[in-house]
Amino acid sequence: MAATDRFDAIVIGSGISGGWAAKELTEKGLRVLMVDRGRMVEHGEDYPFDGKPAYEIPARDKMPAALAKRDYFALNGWVSPSTQPFFINDRLNPYDYDAPNKFNWVRPSVVGGKSLTWGRWSFRWAPTDYEANKREGVGVDWPIRYDDVAPWYSYVEKYIGVSGGKENLDYLPDSEFMPPFPMNVAEKWLKGRLEGEFPGRKLINARLSNITEDKPEQNRTRCQKRSQCSHGCSFGAYFSTQAVTLPAARATGRLTLRSDTWVTNLEYDPAKKRVTGVRMVDAKTGRAEVVQARMVFLCASAMSSLHILLNSRPKDSERSWFHSNGALGSAVMDHIFRVGVQGEIPGMTELIEYGRRPGGVYVPRFRNLKTEELPFKRGYGYQGQAFRQPAMVDGFGADMKHGMREYGPWKFSMGAFGECLPYDDNRVMLNFNKQDRFGTPLLRFDVTFRDNEIKMMDDALEQGQLMLRRAGLVNVTGGRGKHVPGEAIHEMGGARMGRDPNTSVLNGWNQAHDAPNLFVTDGAQMASVSCVNPSLTFMAMTARAADHAIKQMKAGVI
Amino acid sequence: MSRARGVAMIGRRETLAAMVAAFGASAFAPLARAVAYKPDPVINTGPPAPVFTAAQRALVAALSERVMPTTDTPGAITAGVPAYIEHMLGDWAIDDERATIFGGLAAIDARSMADYRVPAVKATAAQQDALLTLAMNDKLPGATEFFPAFKQLVITGYFTSEVGITQEREYLPVPGEYDGAYPYAKVKRIFSA
Repeated sequence: MAATDRFDAIVIGSGISGGWAAKELTEKGLRVLMVDRGRMVEHGEDYPFDGKPAYEIPARDKMPAALAKRDYFALNGWVSPSTQPFFINDRLNPYDYDAPNKFNWVRPSVVGGKSLTWGRWSFRWAPTDYEANKREGVGVDWPIRYDDVAPWYSYVEKYIGVSGGKENLDYLPDSEFMPPFPMNVAEKWLKGRLEGEFPGRKLINARLSNITEDKPEQNRTRCQKRSQCSHGCSFGAYFSTQAVTLPAARATGRLTLRSDTWVTNLEYDPAKKRVTGVRMVDAKTGRAEVVQARMVFLCASAMSSLHILLNSRPKDSERSWFHSNGALGSAVMDHIFRVGVQGEIPGMTELIEYGRRPGGVYVPRFRNLKTEELPFKRGYGYQGQAFRQPAMVDGFGADMKHGMREYGPWKFSMGAFGECLPYDDNRVMLNFNKQDRFGTPLLRFDVTFRDNEIKMMDDALEQGQLMLRRAGLVNVTGGRGKHVPGEAIHEMGGARMGRDPNTSVLNGWNQAHDAPNLFVTDGAQMASVSCVNPSLTFMAMTARAADHAIKQMKAGVI
Repeated sequence: MSRARGVAMIGRRETLAAMVAAFGASAFAPLARAVAYKPDPVINTGPPAPVFTAAQRALVAALSERVMPTTDTPGAITAGVPAYIEHMLGDWAIDDERATIFGGLAAIDARSMADYRVPAVKATAAQQDALLTLAMNDKLPGATEFFPAFKQLVITGYFTSEVGITQEREYLPVPGEYDGAYPYAKVKRIFSA
């Protein structure tokens, strides 16, 4: 990088949040450097398995067990040969925890981050999500409320395109929607039965960042119903950095993007209370340098941002500059995840699905909404779908082969996502006895699920089966696995927002209490996690923070 | 060319490793890291690493064709299932998973010698079916887990092959549409996943 390069802002990370930060800041006139530790992936050109059927993917897209175990242990069950190019190798990039408290940290290794492989379910949080901590005296109070974020939800949704149906539910606010992907005939049947049997409970269309109308101004084409999103989509049919925010930031001519660049820490001036630079290492040459800018947006993904913050410390000190009140790294959360129920839907065998939707239906939270009468706090929702699979036939030979030319009955399955509480002693820290290949102490996890989460999982299992049985499904079964934190890939918290600088890391504008020119806008900011998917909220919060940052910069405050 | 470069890289790494080993525990950290660093693993997309003897390979081919035979559409052999199975076992399975298949093949061969006085690969199709039926009904000592594992390999290999995806089933086109209430009567061949 030439010595004459000067940046107004550095954005660390290029995923859901970093891409939005780069887009907003460059569009508002700033010269921005966006750095990502991963390799470059260009939209369309670098999706090697886009549109490929199984026989054109190595090993028909089945991950070798030995390789998964050796190199992708956190990703076991997630990574496949078609998605492997987007994920980090855990063996080469280890992290730490004390057995048996495993943490399955799912990490990307590309520009675009997890925006290329995410699940794409997009929900607004509800007013109650921003109020629950205060009402229950749990964790710290959010310094903002739903109304602070609502205009930014609209702003982001109109830009990215969110498909879904209007429902007018106060506990799951509607977005600015494109038409939803329709329910199939079995889901419509189930909706009627379930809502009739359980007044107040709903079964609604999925809300997805997969677009159902073209966005020609962004060179994006509506979803082609391939259901291969995690291969990368050259139609740009779902939100990703590559399809949406990176082209916008590049179009300003003010973006510099550096891939293969690891940020190890932030440089800090305690007298001025400012971040003065970002130390980064070129992964290919091993050369380190400190790059300066007037402000920094830290969007490395929740746990990686904490890693960088924890490693930003005075020489000869193990304590971070940003750890002055002890809050940094604490109250790490993930959604409950390992609960699933399924059953058979009788009838309608004269009908079948044609095509493959990228998502199905959603049962929004129905627990503890009005009064809290249950032995656990907060709630959960289910994501599910009805489908018919080819028949499995016993035996072998021509009879079996021809028997498999029929479809079996309609089935429905759904899995719960539920809210984990912010426990101060669920934390991450540095392990100074082990270093990664860039000389940074490893990030160490000490995160477990507690009584509230276990009771919630039990309730989700029981209620899920009850709903399906009373709706008229047969052969209803369910299961509840041990949930290893991280598995929901919704890890959040650790640098929470708060009103009180003594108990939180960020203020209500995502600014570090200890450095007003440092903004953290990824999942690390969360003071609680709702039970719905978080990415849409990361986007809205990032756009809001960028707007505030520009105003403060123009006012000469930062 | 790439082969030569690969050899050169291994040579350089090994040399570095040997030098670092000479320093013992006091190796300078970046040097130690350079030795420990291995490039991202690559999944084998070329020919499978051979795991079968010629006789085992021939038996796997014969049995896979019995499981998924040629009828009005091609069978397992045309679909490349035998190579797929070898690929899965050579590159994808771990040792005890391989043993399930090897043990089953040996048990089937032994029973074929006992009942028909020929190795299973030389048995008639009807005799091979009888042997597979014994395995399926758990009546072949040493082949308890063989049948379900082998059937899974054949079915997965077949329905993820070009034959399975485009001839036995119908691969839906792009641009694609979605209809959640499509008449089953209009389905000629069921859709590939």
